[in-house]
Amino acid sequence: MIQKLLNIDRRWIFLFIFVGVAAAMLFPLPLPIRPSSDVKNVYNTIESIKGKPNATVLLSFDYGPGSEPELQPTAISIIRQCFRNNIKVVGMALWPDAVGLAQAAFDSVSRAEGKEYGKDWTFLGYKTGSVTLILNMGEDFHGAFNVDYRGNKTSEMPVTQHIAKLGSFDYVVTLAAGKTIDGVWVTYAVDRYRIKLGGATTAVTSPDMFPYLQSGQLNGLVSGLAGAAEYETLVKTQGSATRGMQPQSAAHLIIIISIIIGNTMYFVQRRRDRRQSVSGNEETRS
Amino acid sequence: MQRLTQFACIAALFWTGTALASDAVETGTGSKTPVPDSVRALPPPLPTQIRAADVPSDNGKAVVVTWLPDASTPSLVRYQVGVATNPSGPYYFGGEAPAAGPLVKDDPKIFGWSPANPDHQFLVVSSYMVPPATPEGNPERVELRPDQTYYLRFAVVGDSASAELAAPMSVTPRQNWIKLHKLNNLIFGLFFGVVILSFIEFARRNPNMFIRKIAGLDAVEEALGRATEMGKPVYFVHGLNSMGEVSAIASVNILGRVARRVAQFDTTLKVMNNDPIVLAVSQEVVREACIDVGRPDAYVPDNVMFVADRQFSYAAAVDGMMMRERPATVMLMGYFYAEALLFAETGNVVGAIQIAATDSYTQIPFFITTCDYTLIGEELYAASAYLAREPKLLGSLRGQDVGKAVLIAILTIGTALELAGIHWLTHLVAPL
Amino acid sequence: MIFFKRTLPLVIAFVMGIVAISIYYIPHQAAVDLNDLLSKWDRIIAAFAAFLGVYSLLYLHAGRLKRRQAGWGYSVFVYLGFVVMLTAAIYNNGAGPLVALRKGGAYDWLYTNVFVAADASMFAILSFFIASAAYRTFRARTTEATILLVAAVIVMLGRVPIGALLWESMPELQQWLMNVPNMAAKRGILLGVYLGAVATALRIIFGIERSYLGGDE
Repeated sequence: MIQKLLNIDRRWIFLFIFVGVAAAMLFPLPLPIRPSSDVKNVYNTIESIKGKPNATVLLSFDYGPGSEPELQPTAISIIRQCFRNNIKVVGMALWPDAVGLAQAAFDSVSRAEGKEYGKDWTFLGYKTGSVTLILNMGEDFHGAFNVDYRGNKTSEMPVTQHIAKLGSFDYVVTLAAGKTIDGVWVTYAVDRYRIKLGGATTAVTSPDMFPYLQSGQLNGLVSGLAGAAEYETLVKTQGSATRGMQPQSAAHLIIIISIIIGNTMYFVQRRRDRRQSVSGNEETRS
Repeated sequence: MQRLTQFACIAALFWTGTALASDAVETGTGSKTPVPDSVRALPPPLPTQIRAADVPSDNGKAVVVTWLPDASTPSLVRYQVGVATNPSGPYYFGGEAPAAGPLVKDDPKIFGWSPANPDHQFLVVSSYMVPPATPEGNPERVELRPDQTYYLRFAVVGDSASAELAAPMSVTPRQNWIKLHKLNNLIFGLFFGVVILSFIEFARRNPNMFIRKIAGLDAVEEALGRATEMGKPVYFVHGLNSMGEVSAIASVNILGRVARRVAQFDTTLKVMNNDPIVLAVSQEVVREACIDVGRPDAYVPDNVMFVADRQFSYAAAVDGMMMRERPATVMLMGYFYAEALLFAETGNVVGAIQIAATDSYTQIPFFITTCDYTLIGEELYAASAYLAREPKLLGSLRGQDVGKAVLIAILTIGTALELAGIHWLTHLVAPL
Repeated sequence: MIFFKRTLPLVIAFVMGIVAISIYYIPHQAAVDLNDLLSKWDRIIAAFAAFLGVYSLLYLHAGRLKRRQAGWGYSVFVYLGFVVMLTAAIYNNGAGPLVALRKGGAYDWLYTNVFVAADASMFAILSFFIASAAYRTFRARTTEATILLVAAVIVMLGRVPIGALLWESMPELQQWLMNVPNMAAKRGILLGVYLGAVATALRIIFGIERSYLGGDE
C-alpha cells in the first residue's frame, strides 16, 4: 500500500490540484493581503510625483501571453493609479507579443477613468533592438520614437511633447518576463542615464532582481501574482490578481500536503526496510 | 542701464526656458513649492568657486559645472545654467539643479573617489533648449558638440528674484579615447584573460591536467549507449538563447561531441532548435561531426529542426514529440525559462534518461529534482573541455579556477576591510 | 575552400570580438557610432534568419505530409495556423477580415482567443508538473535535502496570504530566505558562470574553441 502511494500515478496528483484550485475559485475565502515593502516602493514612488506638472511615467511591456496572468494585473493597477493621480502614462513594448496586451490594458483603464489618448496617455508600440532602442531613447526620445503606434508624432502630442530623453520621465516601470530588466534596463538605462526604475516580474524570475534591489538600481519590485495582488490592494481594486490569490493559496497548500504525505510514506517505508534487514541479519547469524 | 537690460533679458530667457523645459534637466528638478515672502523679495546669495569643466571620459557632448553653495542659501532656489556659443549670447537654458542637488562626492564616475571638493554641488550640461521661432512651434533641443567652445552663465533663481555670476565661463567639451572610470574593469579583465591564456599555454606543455569528475558528463556515454540498445532516438534540446549568448555557444560545442558519438553508435539524434541561427550552426556542427567520424550518411537534415521561436509553442511541440517518439535520452542544454520543467517532467513521464545543463539560476532546482544528471552554471561551459579532454581547453578551466580563487580572496578581504571602515578595496573593484 | 570555412570565420570572430570589447571602454563618438552600426547589422541578420527559420519549419512539415509520417496530422495544423494568421495579418491593411464584427478584426480575435489562451494554458500546466515533481522528488533523504525541503515549504507559504494567516511572520521569513541565503548562493553560482563565460568567450575569440564552426581543425 505504501509502495503504491510512493509510486502513485501522477494523474492523481494532477486531479488533486485541479479539484483544489477549482474549489478555491468556486468558493473563495477572503484572505488578507499585506503589501510588502518592495511593492510599496513602486506605489509610493508614483504617489510622490502626483501634483508635479507634466509628471509622466514610462511603462515598458516586456512580456508575452504566458506571463499575462501575473503581469497584466500589475500593468492595469499602475495605469489606474497614474490616471487617478493625473499622471501621464507613456507605454512601449520591447517584446512584440506585448503589443496586444498593452493596448488592452490601456484601452480598458482609460475608458474607465475617462482619460484621453494623446493628452493623458499614449502607446508607442514595439521596436526591435532593445539595447539600441534604450540608448537612442537615452539621447533623443523623439528620434527613437518619431511616431507612436497610431502614427501620431511624438513631438506634437501633449503627453510626449515635453519628453526630451529617457531621463525626462519621472519614473520608468518595466513589466518583464525575461531578461530585459537586468540585460537592458538596469545595464543601460539606469547605469548610463540614471533613471529611476521600478520593476514587475514573474515570480520565477524575481529572485534574479534582488541584487538590483539591494544595490538600489531597482527602487521597487512587484513580484508575480502575489505582488500584483498586493498592488491591487494598494490601489484599492479587486482585480484578477486578488481573485487569483485563493486558487494560488490552494495550490501551494496541496503541494505542501503532498510533500508531507510523500515524506511520511518514505520514512515509514524506510523504517520497514531497516527492520526487515535487521531481522534478516539476525536469522543469518543464528 | 545696459547692464540692467542685459540682466532682465537673461532672466526672462531663463524663465522661458524653465517654463518650457522644466522636466528636461540633467540632474535635479525645479521646486515649485511656494517661497516665504521674506525670501521672495531678496536675491539669493551666489555660490562661490563656480567652475566649468569638460566631463572626463565621455564622447565630448557634456560639460560639468561645480560650485560651493552659500550656507545661507534658501532651500527653495534653483541653480540654472545658460549656454551660448558666443560670449555676448544669446544664452539658452542648459539645465538646472535644486538647492539640495547632488554633491561631487556622490558621483565618483565623473570626479573619482577622492575629489578635491567633495561638498561642492554639480550639474552636467549636455544640451540646451532653443525657444521656438513662432509661438505655435516647439522648442528645439540642441546637443553640445565636441571641440566647440561654449559660454556658460550661472544663476541662482528664486521665485521672484535671482542672482547671476558676472562673467560667463568658457569651456570646450572634448572627446576622450578611454573611459578612465572603467580602468579597474579593464585591468581585471586583462588579468583574467592573461591567466586563462597562460594556463592554456601551460596545458599544451603539460597535457595531463587533473579535472574533477562531473557525473553528468560521465553519464553522456552511458546515456547514448542506452539509446542505441533500445533503438530509440536521442533528443538534444537547445535552450532559448540566441547564438550571441555564451550558453548557446557552449551547448553547440557539446552538440558537436554528442553528434560524433551518436554517429559512431549509429543512433538517431534529433536536435530541437528555438532560434534560426542556432539551427544553422547546429546543422553544420552535426553534419561535420558525421563526416569527421566517417559516417556522412548518418546525417539526416530533417533531424536538426527548427521547432518554434515562441517559448510555449517550442515547449508544446517538443513535449508532443517526446510523448509520441519516447526517446531514450534527452539532453537539455542551454538557457531555459519557465518551459524547463515542461521538458524535464515530460522526459520523466516517457522514461528517458535526462541530462540537463543550464546557467539559468532559476531553473536549476527544477532540473535537479526531475533530471538524472544536472550540470550547474559554469559546468555547462566546462562540458566541451571535459568531453574533448583537449589540453588547451582544460587549461582554460584551470585558469577559471584561479580567477575564482582571486575573487574569493577579494570578497573575503574586502568584507573584512569594509567592516573596519576601510573602503579602498571596495572602491577599487566598484563598477562605475 | 578551407579559407572560407575555417580561416575567415576565425578571423572575423577575432576581429569582431576585440572590437566589441574595445567599444565598451572607448567613449569616443566613433566607437558609439560603430556600436550602433554593428547593432543594426545584428538586427538585419536576425531578420533574415527569421526567414530561414520559417523556411526550415515549412519544409520539414511539407516532407512529413508528403511521406505521411507518423503524426502528419500535426503538420496540417502547422500549415493551417501559418496561413490563417498570415492572411489575417496582411488582409485589409493588417486589420484582417471580419473587422466590422470586432475591433482589430480576425487577427486580434485569433491572437486573444487562440494564441494568448494557448500560451497561458501551457504556462498553467507548470502548476501540475510542479506538484507531481514535488511529490516524487522532495524527499528528506539527506540533511541538505531536508533543509531544501523546509526552505521550499516556507517560501511557498510565505508567498501567499494563507502563510500570513498561519503565522504572521511567515512573509518576512520568506523574504529573508530569498534575500540572504538564496542571494548568497545565487551570487556564488553567478560568479562562476560569468568567469566561465569570460573563458568561453576568450577561447572563441582566440580560435581555441572551434566546435561552433563544425568540427575541429
